Amino acid sequence: MNHSILSASALLLGTSALFGQGSAFQTPGMPRQVYGPPKEGTSQDNSGQASRFSSVFNPAFSFVGDIVGDYRSGGEEVGWNAELRALEFGAQAWVDPTAWAYFTAVSDGESLDIEEAALHYKGLGERHTLRVGKFFLDFGKQMQTHIHELRTLERPLVLREYLGDEVSGTGVQWDHWFSANDTTAVRFSLGAFSSLLPEHEHGEEEEPEAEAEVAGRKSIGNLNYSARVTGFTDVGTNGTLQLGTSARIVPDFAFVDEDGGGEVGGLDNTVWGLDVTYGWKDETATKSFTAGLEFLVNSGDVGAELGAAPGDAPIVADGTRTGWLLFADHGLDPNNSIGLQISMAELADADKTEALEIEAYYTRYLSEFHRLRFGLSTLDVDGADESFRAAVQYTFFVGAHGHGVNW
Amino acid sequence: MRLLTLLALVLLGLSAQAAEKLKVVTSIPDLADLSRRIGGDRVEVQSICKGLENPHFVSVKPSHLVAMSRADVFVQVGLSLEVAFVPGLLENCGNARIQPGRPGFINASDGFAAIDIPGQVDRKLGDVHPQGNPHMNLSVEGGAVMAANILKGLCAIDPAHKADYEARHAAWTRELEAAQQRWKKLGEGWKGRKVCVYHQEHAYLIRGYGLVTLGSVEPQPGIPPTPASLASLIATLRKEKDVCLLAVAWARRSELEEVRNQAGVTLVELPNMCAGLPGTESWIEMMDLLHKRLAEAFGPQKGT
Ligand SMILES: [Zn+2]
Repeated sequence: MNHSILSASALLLGTSALFGQGSAFQTPGMPRQVYGPPKEGTSQDNSGQASRFSSVFNPAFSFVGDIVGDYRSGGEEVGWNAELRALEFGAQAWVDPTAWAYFTAVSDGESLDIEEAALHYKGLGERHTLRVGKFFLDFGKQMQTHIHELRTLERPLVLREYLGDEVSGTGVQWDHWFSANDTTAVRFSLGAFSSLLPEHEHGEEEEPEAEAEVAGRKSIGNLNYSARVTGFTDVGTNGTLQLGTSARIVPDFAFVDEDGGGEVGGLDNTVWGLDVTYGWKDETATKSFTAGLEFLVNSGDVGAELGAAPGDAPIVADGTRTGWLLFADHGLDPNNSIGLQISMAELADADKTEALEIEAYYTRYLSEFHRLRFGLSTLDVDGADESFRAAVQYTFFVGAHGHGVNW
Repeated sequence: MRLLTLLALVLLGLSAQAAEKLKVVTSIPDLADLSRRIGGDRVEVQSICKGLENPHFVSVKPSHLVAMSRADVFVQVGLSLEVAFVPGLLENCGNARIQPGRPGFINASDGFAAIDIPGQVDRKLGDVHPQGNPHMNLSVEGGAVMAANILKGLCAIDPAHKADYEARHAAWTRELEAAQQRWKKLGEGWKGRKVCVYHQEHAYLIRGYGLVTLGSVEPQPGIPPTPASLASLIATLRKEKDVCLLAVAWARRSELEEVRNQAGVTLVELPNMCAGLPGTESWIEMMDLLHKRLAEAFGPQKGT
């Protein structure tokens, strides 16, 4: 504790000293006078100092482009389309020996959103990580990934219905793992956030709807919480099995009719999930098989419809909804894989309408750094027409690139 | 009672001795073999990769993470060979003792003169390795460099047993010298022999023995062939006689067979790391098999 206070004040002192250095003859924000040409073969000037114009401490940059062309029929949207779905720009670097920081900014060609901007602090001791900033919800196996990194074109039905398409919160999360035996690792995470509801995408809405919102200022008990525990073990020499359980808790939120002005507050919602994943690779590590199941329970105030007249409070649906997703993937070799994903969910309306989504996909990595995916999907909502989509996705990855541990 | 106390003491002593062993984790089995040879009974060694795997595609398993978290020493080849799994493991294992720069981290390719270092680092060149061809474990000179780095690392972390490590390293070096004589003799007539490769694993041997590479099934390292690139490779190989197609277990069978059948080349299956193909438990045995298979493929007649 003392240590962190100390380092925080040291950081502040360091910063003021840094600004203090040239401040007497320098307007803050204006470039400092550079004496002489850069030293040959370096990006530094000849001042003998790694100053703010030195690029030696620059972070590693990367960007990702995700382009989708598709045909839809049967639903509300019909016809062909092509879009730059996401251009993601990111950077990462070590801040000091105990922490590294990164950000990911995403644009769909119109607005630029910061999806993640966080610091991983490793100074708490072995196998502990404190994450501070804005980052994705740690729930199940698929919520931590950006959409372009998923095995399918879209986030599976049950996840987007109960949690949101992309859910990132601003807050703090503690992560720790330990070994249960020689072949089993157990990881848990606990997080507290300002809000873990998905951000609304303005401008894209076709019809007005009641939007869920968490108040800006709240008591500590009304912060939003996330928790996950997962065990990951070897199965034989070539397989792995992972079991996990996760929760997202939103203790106090409101449904707001932004156009009409009606509002219902004092609502709460908890989503709980269970996941099982089995993975296998052949003896050459080139052929693979992965299958997984996630089961979700959405309880409390789950959804809302607009009131009858403008200004009326939205009509809230509550109770319990359940849904699941199931997938199987087969990697034919490092570059080609095929898979099938099925997701079922009771929708968050008063009637608990059932919906079923099926997606078959083929992914071809042209190399490790760009990939083509072909997907066919159907969405069948009870009482509505079945909709169909055929899509081609092209995704490229440029720059700094790494493989983490997927758990 | 006295007997029981004695027994307890003996057991305690045994367990203390067992606990004293250095826990060594290596990225590939070649390094595990060398660590065992040099470390002897002072070490307990585990390898992450298995002998037939493609080290560029290995994914992390929980047992790897647990082993890394408990390790006293971690040994890697480096040169970006293990970029698919080592950085993730080092970052997540939470073990400060084996982080780069610490005595418990051994980079076995230190001081090795890598070949094919790109003048320009650009993905236009494929899955290029900025530090050069990383498959130095398959070079005749690589064994001595890996062993020397392991010796240096073990002595630094456990100086009390320096003499033991040095004695075992010296014994292994004598075996290596005898083996190098065998390999040299086998390879004498190989200069100018024609080969085609699947991936660039055997580039060090090819250069060392003066073999001539006519083409590669992967048009660039890590880039899978396209129908057009395969057709052009087959056309090139058809014009030549006595070409050996060198491949390892993970290479795609269908493409190897297409090239073999259409271009009339001899397919030679070579080890990629030790402890994969039968009879390759040690690094020296693996290199023996490599030379034996090449000698069989090239036949008794001398190359041009
Ligand atoms: Zn390679």
